[in-house]
Amino acid sequence: MRKKSFMSSLVAVPHMVWCALFIVAPLLFVIYYSFTNTEGSFTLDNLTRLSDYGDTFLLSVEMSIIATFFAFLVGYPFAYFMARQSETGRKICMILLMLPMWTNLLIRTYSMMAILDDGGFLNSVLAWIGLGPVHIVGTKGAVIFGMAYDFFPYMVLPIYTAISKIDNRLMEAAQDLGCNGRRVLTRVVLPLSKSGIISGITMVFVPSISTFYISQKLGGGTFELIGDTIERQFQVPSTYNIGAMISLVMMILILISVAVMNRFSESED
Amino acid sequence: MEKIIELKNITKEYDGEKVLDNINLDIYDKEFVTILGPSGCGKTTTLRIIGGFEMPDEGDCIFDGKRINDVPAYRRHVNTVFQKYALFPHLNVFENIAFALRLQKVPEREIVTRVQEMLELVALKGFEHKKVTYLSGGQQQRVAIARALINQPRVLLLDEPLGALDLKLRKDMQKELKNIQTRTGITFIYVTHDQEEALTMSDTVVVMSEGRIQQIGTPTDIYNEPVNAFVADFIGESNILDGVMIKDRLARFAGKDFVCVDGGFDPNEPVDVVVRPEDVDFVDVEKGMLTGTVTSVNFKGVHYEFIVDINGFKWMIQSTDFVEEGREIGLYIEPDAIHIMKKSEYSGLYGDYSSYSDELDELSNADDVEE
Ligand SMILES: Nc1ncnc2c1ncn2[C@@H]1O[C@H](COP(=O)(O)OP(=O)(O)OP(=O)(O)O)[C@@H](O)[C@H]1O
Ligand SMILES: [Mg+2]
Repeated sequence: MRKKSFMSSLVAVPHMVWCALFIVAPLLFVIYYSFTNTEGSFTLDNLTRLSDYGDTFLLSVEMSIIATFFAFLVGYPFAYFMARQSETGRKICMILLMLPMWTNLLIRTYSMMAILDDGGFLNSVLAWIGLGPVHIVGTKGAVIFGMAYDFFPYMVLPIYTAISKIDNRLMEAAQDLGCNGRRVLTRVVLPLSKSGIISGITMVFVPSISTFYISQKLGGGTFELIGDTIERQFQVPSTYNIGAMISLVMMILILISVAVMNRFSESED
Repeated sequence: MEKIIELKNITKEYDGEKVLDNINLDIYDKEFVTILGPSGCGKTTTLRIIGGFEMPDEGDCIFDGKRINDVPAYRRHVNTVFQKYALFPHLNVFENIAFALRLQKVPEREIVTRVQEMLELVALKGFEHKKVTYLSGGQQQRVAIARALINQPRVLLLDEPLGALDLKLRKDMQKELKNIQTRTGITFIYVTHDQEEALTMSDTVVVMSEGRIQQIGTPTDIYNEPVNAFVADFIGESNILDGVMIKDRLARFAGKDFVCVDGGFDPNEPVDVVVRPEDVDFVDVEKGMLTGTVTSVNFKGVHYEFIVDINGFKWMIQSTDFVEEGREIGLYIEPDAIHIMKKSEYSGLYGDYSSYSDELDELSNADDVEE
């Protein structure tokens, strides 16, 4: 018995080494760099210098919230529609949803740029029908669109799962008691898919707020998000420390917001 | 009494298969109507058409004299107690019951009083803040009833509401439901496949088979005057024999002539004859109208249940007198215990107990396999 449990813990060793190497060690590095200066001595300067990045941070939060909001606005009806389809209908929706995900994020964003660019596909079409050209790439709108588009499936899938678990008889019971279609949605389907909504929101918001690629490409370099700031700090060794501090604070803020969201879903579940 | 619901020539098909075939049914105000029939005969479908969850392919559904085929479920003055309760898991007992009132924006104080009344009616006082998922089956059932009743519907539809409960609880709930119905005066349309439940609770019983209504009548009518072999067999136990109506009040079956009380058939018309097991008396062989041999005896508590072989046809007979297996016995049947029915598509399918004990064996074998 003892021997067996020893053996089984032996099996877990590679996994533990993996975790130590690629999760714990980088984390310790981040913490180390955050509280040291370029000479390697302890300092809290990085913490006080954070305020320089306050505006960038707020802009990132604002844009991620808007992107998440739009992803939800489109994603929820899509998930609802999908859950109400027949078996084949669901499969088709699923393929349509997942197909773009098989392309690398960078390539997807790049092709999005090609479509939206001033001389791109969309503007050619708009010019042709006499509506354009419209300057899209380089605006905040383009970045928000990119975020919402790239992370859209992460919004739809958890909501879809939650809605398809709702017993059809509950919707009939709601109708029976006087709910028209809209009220069935607000009184029964929405509250019963809350856990899916919360996962969806978290899974779109978190990657949106830390993205740097989307803002660089679709933002056309006209403004900077917190992800870009962090990336820039790590391009020269002299700014590693402040970059580490921003990452650390971001990480803590994300963890807190995820924890709050989870509490939110548990308390009324 | 006035008609509250009329179903007229209702037909419904699923995938080319007729599930309801020309259903005609009048339901009167304050009535307790039970739709009774074997699994798959279309009971739930009938209820769903009245509730507005299903559209008939043909025919009309009339409520209070108005055609309501196109009225959506949420605008009908009908509420439903669903087969598996369908309580809202995100709401507590109070909010489940208050659901319909909240939709109508009833003032909070009135909601509280009316929910309290309902809780009292279904004997669930003190449960208002419980989560519905923590309630027992019987308690969930009562919440479902309260939730449907608070709206003061004209008609309450109940789809096998007691199906999931154990025998004792089912009996209690039957009484409670009947009480609630009498007190509130709401028309109940109750679906079940339990014939005893149907007979004890209803004013009117509707017997269905294969998408068609076989008979509509009071419980006594249905039991005493079944219209065909299906109804006779489905309601209670029956010996159903092939016979001939020689003339009014004289029937021939089992090789003998019997005086009976029925008439109105053609001379020598072939008929089905029903004799209920409890209507046959044991007498001495020489005094018997028929003689037979007892082939099995089962003790059933109040009475014994015998299978008696009479000229090769196995009868079921119930009696409080004990007769041992293998004995030759005489049988006596009162004229009014003989019920004559027209031949139907169900003739010859039911009412012979020759395979009775085998059937029981098969049933118990099937149980073994499942376990
Ligand atoms: N949505 C549907 N699609 C296809 N067939 C259906 C549908 N609903 C019911 N049926 C069929 O219609 C027939 C009648 O069904 P229904 O549910 O009315 O029976 P029931 O009398 O309520 O039976 P039970 O006592 O088992 O509940 C069945 O053969 C069933 O398979
Ligand atoms: Mg049913």
